[in-house]
Amino acid sequence: MAARNRFSGMSRAPVRRETVSAYLFLLPALIFFVGFVIVPMVMCLFTSFFDYTMTDFTFVGFGNYVEMFKDPVFVKSLKNTAVLVVVAVPAVTAFSLWVASVIYPMRPSLRSFFRCIFYLPVVTGTVAVTVVWKWMFNQYTGLFNHLLKSASLIDKNISWLGNENTALWCILLILFTTSIGQPIVLYVAALGNVDNSLVEAAEVDGANKLQTFWRIKWPSIMPTTLYILIITTINTFQCFALIQLLTSGGPNYSTSTVMYYIYYEAFKLYRYGYGNAMGVILAIIIALFSALQFKLAGTGKAD
Amino acid sequence: MKKIFAILLVLSMVFVAFACTATEDPATDEPVVTEAPAVEEPVTEEPATEEPADITAEITLWTYPIGSWKDSATVEGFIASFNAMYPNITVKVEYLDYSSGDDQVTAALEAGTAPDIIFEGPERLVSNWGAKGKMVDLSDLWDEEAMADISATSAAVVSACQWTNGEYYEYPMCMTTHCMAINYEIFEAAGALQYIDQETRTWTTENFGKALQALVDYGVETTGVVYCGGQGGDQGTRALAMNLYSAKYTNAEHTEWTMNSEAGVMGLQQLVDWANAGLIGYDAGIVASDELQLFSNGTIAMSFCWNASNEANYASQVNFTPYAVAFPSDDSVPELCGGIWGFGIFNNGDQNKIAAAKLFIEFVCDDATQGPLSVSATGFFPVRSSYGNVYAGTESEARMAVFASFQKYLGDYYNVTKGWAEQRTAWWNMLQQIFGGADVTTAVNDYVTTCNAATAS
Repeated sequence: MAARNRFSGMSRAPVRRETVSAYLFLLPALIFFVGFVIVPMVMCLFTSFFDYTMTDFTFVGFGNYVEMFKDPVFVKSLKNTAVLVVVAVPAVTAFSLWVASVIYPMRPSLRSFFRCIFYLPVVTGTVAVTVVWKWMFNQYTGLFNHLLKSASLIDKNISWLGNENTALWCILLILFTTSIGQPIVLYVAALGNVDNSLVEAAEVDGANKLQTFWRIKWPSIMPTTLYILIITTINTFQCFALIQLLTSGGPNYSTSTVMYYIYYEAFKLYRYGYGNAMGVILAIIIALFSALQFKLAGTGKAD
Repeated sequence: MKKIFAILLVLSMVFVAFACTATEDPATDEPVVTEAPAVEEPVTEEPATEEPADITAEITLWTYPIGSWKDSATVEGFIASFNAMYPNITVKVEYLDYSSGDDQVTAALEAGTAPDIIFEGPERLVSNWGAKGKMVDLSDLWDEEAMADISATSAAVVSACQWTNGEYYEYPMCMTTHCMAINYEIFEAAGALQYIDQETRTWTTENFGKALQALVDYGVETTGVVYCGGQGGDQGTRALAMNLYSAKYTNAEHTEWTMNSEAGVMGLQQLVDWANAGLIGYDAGIVASDELQLFSNGTIAMSFCWNASNEANYASQVNFTPYAVAFPSDDSVPELCGGIWGFGIFNNGDQNKIAAAKLFIEFVCDDATQGPLSVSATGFFPVRSSYGNVYAGTESEARMAVFASFQKYLGDYYNVTKGWAEQRTAWWNMLQQIFGGADVTTAVNDYVTTCNAATAS
């Protein structure tokens, strides 16, 4: 009599066949994951210990890491990245939740209309979006200066992207508009999944709208909030295209982010090892932030 | 069985021994092995002995947007002419742009997928990729005839294509001098034309300042913009700053950067002073392409990034007369930045492809019929003096004569100084600092320190 699996009660041969076929189904994804994620990560970590340029590959131990924290541009880039994360992540999450709460009770056609409007910047190519924003921020022919001048709020044109005091906030504004689309759609979906009987029960018990939201809806959409927080944090940490296309990290490194500085060192100055060391630090920071968010926002309710 | 095996073993050892002595005879110092199979056998796969027309290869060409060399119709036409002579060589083309082209090349070099041929200038081909050992030595293309013909135009072109180790990493095709341009009608209306010597199209620093004042007095909101949002078109801002007080950008040997000289600091300080006085604008939010757009739509009265090709490109967009002039200098004798463009070959290790690539370069640059066509497609001037005026008899003749007159102001081609890539990124960051209020001397000293460190490394 063929041996049987303790749990399924099936004989070993069919179980083995099922297991093998399951692994075969996973294999293509696994190959891509290993090839395009794991291997580059390991290579990145390995080469971060080398003075790796187009012509050199010399072991320097933690030399790149030591140099990094003495590099004023890296420190400035780290600060700029922190500002983007600290401002953008809560702003995107809160605004998305507010918009979703407002449009969710609307009739379906109107709700879809608003979802499309807010999702438009997400599906529009980054280059197209930045070209439009660049035109609006233009010092000489831009829309913002024209409007502000027409309203007599300014008497002299402002170089929005060329001024150290305004450039990072302009990047933040664009980042904000391109980041809210997906969270809004997710929040609208999450609000639709809130158990209506709980809401009705709370209302019968005399809970007001705010109490209903905080006691019933907020805990129900917590997994979505956690997902949005993590995704927005990662995307903000990795903000690169906007910087490259709009400011090249300037003026005077006031919009340089860690991600842009990695590109700058690797592709402009050919210092691959140094760039990879910064990439490792960025990955560690993102992992720590994500773990912290899991800890604070997860609290066992994420399931 | 053992005997047979032993005999075979001995025979094979004898064969190997003879083979080794035949090919590795250290006792003989004969420089030429006259019994080389390539000579003995008429049919061989060694490309060196193959008739050029018989070479079969597929090669790739990456070209930066140099004049009409960014248009596939033009380039494909040239390739068709090449294939009429070399039908077995297939040339695939990829068109790069200046914003991402360098990144593409860097990625390709690291991935081992670099193209066979690349079309750009010595600052990339020679002092960057060539200096890093990525390029093929093209000394064999520089035969006596080519050397004499190109030297007759400019010895600087020859030296720009040669690295310090004596190898040539570029075979040049065309050149130009970068200049600036003014809106003629606005200058005329503002009474600022009087400050330009219209015969030589030059002006002094003092007169340039007066012209700026005249434009502002006339009501021009923004006369010109010192753009420094990135490295695009930075030759314009460099030429402007160095010419004001005749500073040198590097020493004559191209081993040190020298914009922290008294003349260099004075030039940069002058620009900052003009900006603070509202006579000139600066913008860390734009690069040369944006500035050219502002000039062509009449928003600003002058462009610091002008040349024959840009004039042709923006001809349809302007509704005024863009008047090319040299950069202002204290002695009215400008030193204009040159542009040299030519071909290099990446060393991908395939001798057959390298041979095919050289044939393509020779055809495009040196063929009596194709050469002038290749040059005129760039909108610049031939490096070969024997080509004469390639625009003679064309509708561009008069226009190009103006730019040809600037050739005599061609300054030192310092772009081949080692550390060029680092210098470029440091330059616009330094401009951002000084226009942002940093002390000019300190900022320029920091900039020069950065550049010299890159050169020394």
